[in-house]
Amino acid sequence: MSADLLRMDDYLAKSLIRPALANGGGAATQALDPVVLASLDEAWDEGEADLVVELIDLYLGDAPQWVEAIRTAAAENDATVLKRVAHTLKGSSGSLGIRQVAEVCGMLELNCSESAARVNELLQLLVQEFNTARAALAAERLRRLA
Amino acid sequence: MLMKIKYTSNRILIADDDPVIRHLVTSIVTRVGYTPVTLSDGRAAFSLLKADANFKAAILDMSMPFLEGLDLIRYMRTEKRLMRIPVVLITADQNIKLMADSFAAGATAFLPKPFTPDQLQNLLRMLLAAKLPSTRAA
Repeated sequence: MSADLLRMDDYLAKSLIRPALANGGGAATQALDPVVLASLDEAWDEGEADLVVELIDLYLGDAPQWVEAIRTAAAENDATVLKRVAHTLKGSSGSLGIRQVAEVCGMLELNCSESAARVNELLQLLVQEFNTARAALAAERLRRLA
Repeated sequence: MLMKIKYTSNRILIADDDPVIRHLVTSIVTRVGYTPVTLSDGRAAFSLLKADANFKAAILDMSMPFLEGLDLIRYMRTEKRLMRIPVVLITADQNIKLMADSFAAGATAFLPKPFTPDQLQNLLRMLLAAKLPSTRAA
């Protein structure tokens, strides 16, 4: 990686990390992008099964395993697996409007071969953002089913 | 004499290892009026395509276990019975080179994640409008 790219990478990581730490991991209301949820809602008619609830259920069923797989890959310095799983979690999170998790996964993909300290820093941020998102998803699910 | 060319298949092949994306795409395909055939990895899609070419379109994820979407497209473009099938490649990677590689391999359309249901619906309608039954002189 060139020096310029490394500097840009560092800038991007800090721009992600600082706001997240500043607000204590992000309020639940910020964890889900309302525009994305609205776009999913717009494509469905009333009376049909709520697609967002179905997607939340799938996400909450699978994503914890992906986070765990990322943690294991980081502990074993397995950059290939780390990159692949982070990529999957990025796509899944982005599709549900879980933007912070998607962004941290993108950073993990880019930094999968960097130092263990760097990967662990991003892993901690991922766990923090994921826990926030999980709470927000559970709340959104309950709200829709009420 | 007029001969009607009929496309009898209403099936769309969907291959993605992510259950969330797979369900989202499956729901949209069903909503547009097609029958989804879903698989969770590239190798399973390859096995199916070796025996079954009866698809209106294919929606493939770029990154899948065992065999990636680009490799599947390359295979499909070498098989005469699969060549006519339009292929939408979906990916969370967004860069110009990847897009160029996808079209060079034979992808019909490139859809970056995250995408909205409207975007995929419109893309399918656009792609499949050209595959509607047509009439031509024999």
